[in-house]
Amino acid sequence: MSIVTVQLGQCGNQIGFEVFDALFRDSHCSQGLCSKRDNEAYQASCRERFFREEENGVPVARAVLVDMEPKVINQTLSKAAQSGRWNYGQHTSFCQKQGSGNNWAYGYSVHGPKHEESIMNLIQTEVEKCDSLSGFFIIMSMAGGTGSGLGAFVTQKLQDQYSSSLKMNQIIWPYGTGEVIVQNYNSILTLSHLYRSSDALLIHENDAVHKICAKRMNIKQISFRDLNRVLAHQLGSVFQPTYSEDSSFHYRRNPLGDLMEHLVPHPEFKMLGVRNIPQMSAASLAYSTFTWAGLLKHLRQMLISSAKMEEGINWQVRPPLSGLPPIGKASAHKEHHFNTSLANLVVLRGREVHSADVEGFKDPALYTSWLEPVDAFSVWKTQRAFDKYEKSAALVSNSQLLVKPLDMIVGKAWNMFSSKAFIHQYTKFGMEEEDFLDSFALLEQVVASYGSLGP
Amino acid sequence: MRRRRSRVEGAARALPEAVAALSRCLPAGPSPEIFRRAKFDRPEAAPVLWQLLLRVLSPLAANNTWTDLAPEAQACLVKSALGSQGYPRSVLLQFPDGSSQGSRELLLALSWLLARGPLLEQLLAQTRVQLGDQLPQWEAPTSPGPPAPFVEPKSPVDLRLVEWLMGRLRFRWRCLISSQQEQCILLSKIHLYTQGCHSQRSLGHLSVAETEMLRDPESGQQLLQALESENIRLEAALEWRRRELVFWQWMDTVLDTCSPETPAVTSQPTVLPAISEGGLGELESVKQELQALQEELREVSEPRRAAWEARVGGLGQGPEWSNSRKALQEAVQQELAALQGSWERSSTPGQPQRPHRLVRSKDGAPRPQGLQAAEVIRTLSAKEACLKKVLHQLQRQCQQELARLAGALPGLIWILPPEH
Repeated sequence: MSIVTVQLGQCGNQIGFEVFDALFRDSHCSQGLCSKRDNEAYQASCRERFFREEENGVPVARAVLVDMEPKVINQTLSKAAQSGRWNYGQHTSFCQKQGSGNNWAYGYSVHGPKHEESIMNLIQTEVEKCDSLSGFFIIMSMAGGTGSGLGAFVTQKLQDQYSSSLKMNQIIWPYGTGEVIVQNYNSILTLSHLYRSSDALLIHENDAVHKICAKRMNIKQISFRDLNRVLAHQLGSVFQPTYSEDSSFHYRRNPLGDLMEHLVPHPEFKMLGVRNIPQMSAASLAYSTFTWAGLLKHLRQMLISSAKMEEGINWQVRPPLSGLPPIGKASAHKEHHFNTSLANLVVLRGREVHSADVEGFKDPALYTSWLEPVDAFSVWKTQRAFDKYEKSAALVSNSQLLVKPLDMIVGKAWNMFSSKAFIHQYTKFGMEEEDFLDSFALLEQVVASYGSLGP
Repeated sequence: MRRRRSRVEGAARALPEAVAALSRCLPAGPSPEIFRRAKFDRPEAAPVLWQLLLRVLSPLAANNTWTDLAPEAQACLVKSALGSQGYPRSVLLQFPDGSSQGSRELLLALSWLLARGPLLEQLLAQTRVQLGDQLPQWEAPTSPGPPAPFVEPKSPVDLRLVEWLMGRLRFRWRCLISSQQEQCILLSKIHLYTQGCHSQRSLGHLSVAETEMLRDPESGQQLLQALESENIRLEAALEWRRRELVFWQWMDTVLDTCSPETPAVTSQPTVLPAISEGGLGELESVKQELQALQEELREVSEPRRAAWEARVGGLGQGPEWSNSRKALQEAVQQELAALQGSWERSSTPGQPQRPHRLVRSKDGAPRPQGLQAAEVIRTLSAKEACLKKVLHQLQRQCQQELARLAGALPGLIWILPPEH
């Protein structure tokens, strides 16, 4: 079943390109380390989900590109066309001449209604070219104006028009020390609106991805392109084909549906984080070998200690023994806080994947008390290696990973709000202080809900 | 002498042949020997008959999930299903679940089901081999399947777990809808691409089963085998119909071998509501209160009605009123007719819906028989509107109940979920 991707804003479009490129390159990679038949099935599954056929045989991404400025869209389109391997469709993009000024209200209340029909028509055209629609990816950033405000608007319209289709928002969490002054306002407004109209929010933190680039990939001058590639790699490692539950002769038809059913059925818990292992530069990759035991041990500790990457993991953090408080340093530092999970999904790709032992993830101590590990944990596998990594593992987690960052953003936004800083820029486009208060209330509730997961 | 003997032998053969025909057309039909043993209440017949009854009573048993249940669970389901169908003999309920007693009672139950309604026809319709493409089931089943076995939770269940499970159900539902949409699109493609291939001009294009048959001869063989076994069952059903008199005569003898039931037992409901000690006294006082209220209501309403009549009585009689009155009467008649029409359409009699084959034809081509898609869509839209009204009414009731509860506890602040 197919997924239609809506790329919104500068961030969304740049990342969207890298995602499709990563998916395509991987599906045509010759180092799949699996049988020819397996490889062909993998390729076909990836193609059907993310691409469609055109007359000249070049696969076309199932995507709609939207931005309020023409520059990034044009760059994206030309990059895709130049590659010669895959392309965006003709007439799948929509742009205007003016931006959104990093103003959420401008994106939501002005651009949204004004361009609603054109954008929804584009999406409708793309949907009609799918034999079967599983759902939508909406790639957007939280901090700017177009991605955030227009993204929230478009997601709401998708909910109205395609109520039975699934929607996952890929949200770029800005740097803590970001450049946009009102990024916290934009963020809380985005998150609160998406919480109501989207099914799942898959969060990609710029800080985390940046660290991966610096420490693991050894990139000296980190550009947005590097960040985007790491992000695309993470997304690909989750959504590339995996074997279906019944047999390893067929690939899973609806990964988006399966993921959502297992991770976000509860309406209060929709925030997902993604981690994957190993991450390294291509140069180092040639000299490294991995064992499943080692990878899974690290991944588990990354989960428990809320680590952003596989380096600098805090091994002190342990699951709490029943009845006792979590072991760790006695200080109240949140770094030693044990991350209680609601539900986890582990995706394993590579050689000898059937010998991988995931028992460590089925420990009830990892999970909240009211959900059994048999319901809370699921694992997807394929022997086919991903992106030249002989073995790789990804984790999509619905847990307390994002409580701290969310709490920080809400706190900062609240500080600004209480002194009414910059509010007029929002209210002059039809927003009211009520909307801000509603957003704060909803997000506080989300923080409290996630907090209550722990013992 | 010989002729008489052969007539006797013929008569003796008639019963086993009748029973054999019956078991050939039942799904998972047991051997005639089982029937004979059941008459004599032999234990080995009981498990087979429990399974047979289960298979016959639950419309969903086609995928064999029910037969994996433990005997206790099977017996429980069969009992509740029989009860919901109105089976009058309560002797069967007394046997503990999973025991091998009561094969005679099971035989009686089976005969009751057979005699009561078009059971065989229903079963045969369920397992029809379909050559054409079918409309998805759009009639609500007239009788729900047997209720799922009730499992007592071992400890109090967290509300969040219930919400979690509801959410999973909702996602599955949405995925089902997406799959159905996919099925429609692909079906449409097949019909379009095979236009002109069918030997029957009136149909014009192939169905999925026919396309599959052409594509893969192996599946053609399987289809043939399925058709052949269905033929056997249909022939058995016809034979049964010819011979069934003998079977009913035999069943009379089976009934006679049972101990007579006390008549009171048959009319008693299986579960009596518990009435407390002071209950009867309370009932009396409630009755009196009700009567007093009715009196009060009458006293209050009569003068009001009289006053209203006095005000309005003069109106509505003059000539200018006759037109509007006629228009009103016509409008009411139309509404009633519409209601009656929708009632008749929506109420399904016991027999199964005649299945329709999905056929795509060019616009304007005359279609003498069969339903038009537009008509079906209209019916379904009307149904949808009806169901939506019912849903809104239920939702309003829930909201009123919530408001009432919220008002009843003044010290508490209720935060209701945001409107969707």
